[in-house]
Amino acid sequence: MEGGGSYHRMPKVRIREMKDDYLKFELRETDASMANALRRVMLAEVPTIAIDLVEIEINSSVLNDEFIAHRLGLIPLVSDRAMEMRFSRDCDACDGDGQCQFCSVEFHLWARCESDQTLDVTSADLKSNDPLVQPVDVARAIDAAAAGGTLSSAVDSSDNRGIIIVKLRRGQELRLRAIARKGIGKDHAKWSPGATVTFMYEPDIHINEEMMESLTLDEKRQWIDSSPTKVFDIDPNTQQVVIVDPEAYTYDEEVIKKAEAMGKSGLVEIYAKEDSFIFTVESTGAVKAYQMLVNAIDVLRQKLDAVRYTEDADFHLLDEHMGGAAL
Amino acid sequence: MAETRETSGGGDEMEALRELFRPHIESFDYFIDAGMEVMLRSINAVEVRHPKSNTSLRIWLENPELVSPVKEGRKAMREPLFPYECRQAGTSYRGKFNADVCFQYDDRPPVIRQRFNFGHIPIMLKSKLCHLRRADAQKLTHHKEEATEMGGYFICGGLERLVRLLIMQRRHFPLSLVRGSYSNRGLGYTDKAVVIRCVREDQSAVTVRLYYLQSGSARVGFRVRGKEFLLPVGILLKALIDTNDREIYASLTRCYSETHQREKGSVGTQLVRERAKIILDEVRSLSLYTSLQCLEHIGESFQPIMYGLEKETHSAVGEIVLRDYVFVHLGNNHDKFNLLIFMLQKLFALVDQTAAPDNADALQNQEVLLPGHLVTVYLKDKLQEWLSRSREFLEEELKNNEKDFDLHNMAQVKKLIDKNAAHVGRLVENMLKVGSLAAGSAVELPQMVGLTIQAERLNFLRFISHFRSVHRGAYFTKMRTTSVRKLLPESWGFFCPVHTPDGEPCGLLNHMSSTCRITNYYDSRGYIKDYLKYKKSILTVLVGIGMSPSLPKLETSGPPEALNVLLDGCVVGSIISTKIEQAVMHIRGLKLSATSGIPDDLEVGYVPLTMGGAYPGLYLFTSPSRFVRPVRNISNPFGRNQGVELIGSFEQAYMEIRCADGGDGGRKDPFPATHEEIHPTGILSVVANLTPWSDHNQSPRNMYQCQMAKQTMGFSSQALQFRADNKSYHLQTPQTPIVRTTAYTKYCIDEYPTGTNAIVAVLAYTGYDMEDAMILNKSSVDRGMCRGQIYQVESVDLAKNHDRGDKEVKIFARSNLDKSVRSSIDSDGLPYIGQRINPGEPLYSSYNTLSGTIKPTMMKGLEPAIVDYVAVDGASSKQSLQKVNIRLRRPRNPVIGDKFSSRHGQKGVCSQLWPDIDMPFSGVTGMRPDLIINPHAFPSRMTIGMLLESIAAKGGSLHGKFVDATPFSSSTKNVDGDLPHESKSLVDELGPLLSSYGFNYHGLEVLYSGVYGTELACEIFIGPVYYQRLRHMVSDKFQVRSTGITDPLTRQPVGGRKHGGGIRFGEMERDSILAHGAAYLLHDRLHTCSDYHIADVCRLCGSVLATSIMQHQKRAVREIGGLPPLKTPKKVTCQACRTNKGMETVAMPYVFRYLATELAAMNIKISLKLSNRAAA
Repeated sequence: MEGGGSYHRMPKVRIREMKDDYLKFELRETDASMANALRRVMLAEVPTIAIDLVEIEINSSVLNDEFIAHRLGLIPLVSDRAMEMRFSRDCDACDGDGQCQFCSVEFHLWARCESDQTLDVTSADLKSNDPLVQPVDVARAIDAAAAGGTLSSAVDSSDNRGIIIVKLRRGQELRLRAIARKGIGKDHAKWSPGATVTFMYEPDIHINEEMMESLTLDEKRQWIDSSPTKVFDIDPNTQQVVIVDPEAYTYDEEVIKKAEAMGKSGLVEIYAKEDSFIFTVESTGAVKAYQMLVNAIDVLRQKLDAVRYTEDADFHLLDEHMGGAAL
Repeated sequence: MAETRETSGGGDEMEALRELFRPHIESFDYFIDAGMEVMLRSINAVEVRHPKSNTSLRIWLENPELVSPVKEGRKAMREPLFPYECRQAGTSYRGKFNADVCFQYDDRPPVIRQRFNFGHIPIMLKSKLCHLRRADAQKLTHHKEEATEMGGYFICGGLERLVRLLIMQRRHFPLSLVRGSYSNRGLGYTDKAVVIRCVREDQSAVTVRLYYLQSGSARVGFRVRGKEFLLPVGILLKALIDTNDREIYASLTRCYSETHQREKGSVGTQLVRERAKIILDEVRSLSLYTSLQCLEHIGESFQPIMYGLEKETHSAVGEIVLRDYVFVHLGNNHDKFNLLIFMLQKLFALVDQTAAPDNADALQNQEVLLPGHLVTVYLKDKLQEWLSRSREFLEEELKNNEKDFDLHNMAQVKKLIDKNAAHVGRLVENMLKVGSLAAGSAVELPQMVGLTIQAERLNFLRFISHFRSVHRGAYFTKMRTTSVRKLLPESWGFFCPVHTPDGEPCGLLNHMSSTCRITNYYDSRGYIKDYLKYKKSILTVLVGIGMSPSLPKLETSGPPEALNVLLDGCVVGSIISTKIEQAVMHIRGLKLSATSGIPDDLEVGYVPLTMGGAYPGLYLFTSPSRFVRPVRNISNPFGRNQGVELIGSFEQAYMEIRCADGGDGGRKDPFPATHEEIHPTGILSVVANLTPWSDHNQSPRNMYQCQMAKQTMGFSSQALQFRADNKSYHLQTPQTPIVRTTAYTKYCIDEYPTGTNAIVAVLAYTGYDMEDAMILNKSSVDRGMCRGQIYQVESVDLAKNHDRGDKEVKIFARSNLDKSVRSSIDSDGLPYIGQRINPGEPLYSSYNTLSGTIKPTMMKGLEPAIVDYVAVDGASSKQSLQKVNIRLRRPRNPVIGDKFSSRHGQKGVCSQLWPDIDMPFSGVTGMRPDLIINPHAFPSRMTIGMLLESIAAKGGSLHGKFVDATPFSSSTKNVDGDLPHESKSLVDELGPLLSSYGFNYHGLEVLYSGVYGTELACEIFIGPVYYQRLRHMVSDKFQVRSTGITDPLTRQPVGGRKHGGGIRFGEMERDSILAHGAAYLLHDRLHTCSDYHIADVCRLCGSVLATSIMQHQKRAVREIGGLPPLKTPKKVTCQACRTNKGMETVAMPYVFRYLATELAAMNIKISLKLSNRAAA
């Protein structure tokens, strides 16, 4: 991919903050189409595993079968295996019935309330046949147990009670078998690994220092307060307006309007940098936020490959357009 | 009988809710406690006389007893029957009604008492005889009821039915009316009359009308057995009491005096004297002079139509007529005389236009029909009917069966009349079940049908509204004038101005305001009111403040010098007009004192002296079934209930009640207000009270919201598992609104939430949100937003629907031979629970013991369903199981075409389920909206409340607090008594909260296109709005058809969704196709896709009908193996021409042939002339 036509870029990623379920990074030297594609893929096309088929044997709870099945589906499962797994629709090991080890994970749940106290059936009651695929909160509890302390205490501790599926009263019972499969968020939101994926254009803020100096301290303060987010502040020493956090700016143009209202239009100029994005990714826990990004790039590359290697596609024009660099 | 009011379970938080149902329950409680007893007493005894021996037998009723519902059948003796069982089994929640029938021979003791059972009468839920009366939430849930069960309805045939509250004319108040129909009563009648509706102690009513004649006299009219009888007023005056002409003259003319002519409030004119003379002359011309003569005259005229009084003297019959039909609410003839004089004076004032006519459509002159009263009246009528029928039976038996039948043989008598006794209860039950009176009922009610309605539990708001709705009467629905539908100022505070349906019942079906109550028979401590005691204490008070009592004769002067005082339709005296204001003040003060012996719901209707206004007087009412509402008395703020006084709809019109906003209401009035509204929201109904910031919306939008709130798919019932409603809608995951009014908490709506807080973005995106369409986020729906189910109960009773006689018995069973049904039907012949059944698959299978066949029954409908439960009724099936309820569940997740609405009358249809990634997103929070609506929904509709809700909910959710959105709160006083800042708008209260969390002050946000990732051109208004899912869903409504069944007669496609029919392509559609000149399309729609038919027509005679296919003799064609047999060509001949030479085929609509046939039946021949256009 040498040559570097007008469309050829080498985007740069700089990770700012990284946790299991949270990621903040910068994406530079590319344009909105690339950034948005990444966002869309992370939300809708990074595969995860979620319960897709529920066989209910006994359900005497107050919730009906579909409701419980729906709730089970929405429980995030640890999906580190998802990239290697097969979609059950094109799994050749099980003729597409989606119940083999390559394309599915089986869960069992059996809960029965015997006491007068209400029993909470939670995701912790789901018994998986694959230790790698667990409800995320159970996996977290196991990790916690591995780090120290017993499993049961970790499960019972208030933080990791699990996701409540249904509550049972005395004599009520729930018994089911559930099959989890690989899928993508486009098909159903339960397969979406991202709770939130968003980006913003990095703002470019220029204060007209000269004009700013013509303001009194009170006016400056008023102007600063007009922004709902804390972008500017006054330097306590110099009493000058300084930009404290340009990224807090939400493009609401409140400060520009305020400046105009004060008769000082042009006090500040704010532009969005067209090639620089700040991403915020929050994961449901199914896939770690960092992995989500990596998987998304993978998926994106696969998609491009799919286009590129299509036999009947005519890339001649595209080649020409891109200065012969496409292929 | 007195019993202190129970505070039945649920705690105090339910008290406000319970208050809404009280009119229903208390009226039925009274029926149980005392109403029955009073009613039996007022039933006339019947007398049977032996034709020969002349012994007489008097029969009457005593000692009524209504028993709590118990299970029937031998096994379940005396076991209580619970409402839940009735709903499931489709039976009635009813109790045995017994009474003593008393027999007495020859009017001599002893009285023989026999206990009779008069069948069963439905018991109102939560009434004193209901098993759930004192049940707390725990007991209610134990009995499979709602934890918040309110009662107030009956269960008849498994359906919950309640009595429709109907508007009636206010009892015991003479109304002066002008009606054209009055002049049709006869020759000389004018259109003016004074009408009073008199109600007996047993709630049965007789209306007395006093018509004015052109001659100056008047006629008294009342109905006996549905027919109106008219009497000259003079005869009645004289018959009532022993008096003379001078006294009558003096009484009548006392309202006129020369000194007060043309003064304010002088109602009498000189003409009154003339008229008094005419009235007296009229009587004299009939040569009736004494009271006895008049009485005999009345008796003589009425004897032929009075049953059972053939043997009585004329004067005795006259007495009975006066007792039973004239002013039945008064027991004393002197009172009746005085009232008649008063009515005459009012009539003359109306004629002379010194007093204005009253408006019968104004709430001021109206009261309401309560369930307990309806049941009392109807039961009385039916018992009376039973008594007279029993007499007929006995008399007939005496005549026909002289030898065997002995009147003295009690057993024989009892056997004869006992037969029909149970029918009485059946009639009452049927009335409640169907809502119509049995034919031949002599009850004076405004309508015969539509007396009860079904309490649908579509959602809780709809359910409550049924109990708060008041209907004007079926008669008015057909009226072409709209004057009855108007919202009159008199109904201020009693009827909700917002909550009335659009369309046909608009203005006729009103809803009581949330604070409106209805007076009843119980005082505040739960004892039955003692009206005699009330009357006595009121009279003592009145006399104490200077009233001159009217008994025995009214002698004092009339208005304007003195005002008549009427207490519950009885002229009790008069007060000098200068003292009256003081007197009214005094009584009002006593109303608020707990020890005065004056009831707190006494209505003090003081009609002041005016020039040509309403007829002046002081009208006091203590009667039940009046509308009352609480208002703060500011002149006496320390009385009972902190000065909160109950005022009635009559007195309200003459009171000065100011709004609680501290202003002057826009008028500089010399009259100081004596009362103050408690809160402005008190004028709104419960449902209207739930609209947040309804004071910021255009008013029709609030009306639409009241409609839509009642069509919302919500949390219909907490006891859903146990209910057997035909159809119930259920929202899977409802939420509590972030923005709510105080009424929301007050009426515990959280128990039955009806919507979802959706993030709503207002923008034109993709174009799929045009014209009130809205875009839903597919991921939100995937995650469960607005999901719901429909539950439908299929009741199967194999004992019903006998095909061949009674011997055939069907039971549930599964065939052992047919393995195909095993997948869906269990070994007992019923479906598996949780099983998904597709249309056309078997739902259950039954075994016919007579024919020995096992037949599966298929599921109806077009969509698959899931078996939710199978409830088995073991009690009513005798040997084997025959009756079950199968409940089917149909998932109803949001799809394109489903209807949604916010709480501000903004409804819309889902046009797309848009992928989450394509939705616009916020750069800061990453939020994608759940729902997109078009900005054009706002400018013309002006639902500012919705915008405010969005801002407030956004602030509220950031802050983690619910936001109070009670309407009119900006115009009410704070606790400290001062008003909030007038200048500060609501937005300025909500905005700073948003700013403090780093959001735009006005709720705008910068959004990025989900498709391109670029910033949208402008900032978008986005925030959470509580959205309701309405019950109108495409899955229940879509109608498509390509081919299908046709009408056999016309061969055209049938209509109707149920039968798989099509939608009519009608004249107007045809017109538009014609206008486009789309001839092929026209031909396709109207002919090819309809009743296309190729007819054989005879060219020679032109007949379509005479052609027929010739029956060919079977020609011996050798079958060639493997090949289909040769089709012999059709041979068609004309029967008329006896040839097949002129046979042609013509394409025509089949109805044309049908037309030809129909015409042929009328001897009209249609002949077609055929020509080949191509050749010509």
